[in-house]
Amino acid sequence: MRTVQIQTENGACPPLVMQPRLGSAARKRFAGKALQIAMSVERKPNPSTMDASGLIEAIAQRKDQKAFTVLFEHFAPRVKTFMVRSGATSSQAEELAQETLLMVWRKANLFDPARAGPSAWIFTIARNLRIDGLRRAGRETNAIANMDESGEDSEQPDVVCISTERDGRIRSAIALLSEDQRRVVQLSFVEDKAHPEIARELNIPLGTVKSRIRLAMKRLREVLDGQS
Amino acid sequence: MTIKHHPSDTTLAAFAGGQLDPGSSAVVSSHLASCQTCQRWVTTLEDVGGVLLADLPATPMVPGSLTNTMGRLNVPLESDGPARAFAAAEDAAWLPEALRPYKLGPWRWLAPGVYQRKVDVPSGGGSRVFLLKAAPGTRLPVHIHTGVERTQVLAGAFTHDGGRFGAGDFDDAEGDVEHRPSIDPGEECICLVAMTGDIKMTGPIGRVIQPLLRL
Repeated sequence: MRTVQIQTENGACPPLVMQPRLGSAARKRFAGKALQIAMSVERKPNPSTMDASGLIEAIAQRKDQKAFTVLFEHFAPRVKTFMVRSGATSSQAEELAQETLLMVWRKANLFDPARAGPSAWIFTIARNLRIDGLRRAGRETNAIANMDESGEDSEQPDVVCISTERDGRIRSAIALLSEDQRRVVQLSFVEDKAHPEIARELNIPLGTVKSRIRLAMKRLREVLDGQS
Repeated sequence: MTIKHHPSDTTLAAFAGGQLDPGSSAVVSSHLASCQTCQRWVTTLEDVGGVLLADLPATPMVPGSLTNTMGRLNVPLESDGPARAFAAAEDAAWLPEALRPYKLGPWRWLAPGVYQRKVDVPSGGGSRVFLLKAAPGTRLPVHIHTGVERTQVLAGAFTHDGGRFGAGDFDDAEGDVEHRPSIDPGEECICLVAMTGDIKMTGPIGRVIQPLLRL
């Protein structure tokens, strides 16, 4: 595992300087290109950052339990939030977060950093487990039972900032969306809301939801498509 | 093959965000398998999902969560059986991989020159999924959609007011669209269809076969 020291600025959320890990042909092109990525979310000072791709590869290559622990501690609590916001009960969210990380362990050998960033890969695992788990369990009742998100902890005690060039590029593209557009993308990707539910939640017509998503996608395409 | 018709941006966003029912998802997957442009865009949208996930606040795991998970690391998966093999060898050529997990019913006669084969997707309030096979030159009955009908052309081609749809093309028909597709001459047309809502047949043949369409 390669860790990268970050430069701390005034104890606030520091910009990360990330040295992408080498060793695979796919990543060689990033060699030497240190990246400055300003994190959009305010965070406590971070003790270190990590290379999530490297951790997943360490699991794939040598069943590295330490690497798994680091990944678990960073991602499981976020996957849990993802599940809670999708309408899971607290115990379902806990179980699905554990399942997601178990899947990361089991499928680590299928991870291809040239194809997907680590966060994106974990997102797809969580998303698929959410589809299988929550829909089967009958999400309607849970969604109502779980409007309260008080279980979330905005303090992030042991946060490890993870970033890659790819994520930085995506993050700046998302930042170009209007507040309204960002909200519908967030509701649809993170909170598992279908378009009619989004319309109800935001109290806007269904047509407006669709046009916001269309405009958001158009904007993202202008910035991101064809660059990968 | 030259692909001219793709899933709409909202369909691809719903697919990447995990909003589509499993049946519609399978139809979109079968398009992605033959369309690199859409596949690449969905990968980018999954990156967007990854960033949104990474930026979420943390919800503390219960005490002992890590230990519990570590204890399960080397327990083999119970139900990760081998992918089902398609029944008949001649199917394999055009059947999309996305259908591999599902049972396929037998071809059933639907109308002169038109056959339908149910895809058994446990949908949970989602769509009805089927394969539709029509002889060259067939005109399908006029029909009106009340929901969303997503169609991936697997072989052959059909034409309606929306244009010509050949192998690899995706017809994303949403809302009250009135269609009268006709199958292009020369080749049998096979499509994979996921339908939400209802389909209303308005012609005389349609009224007869409508009950058969209810899968």
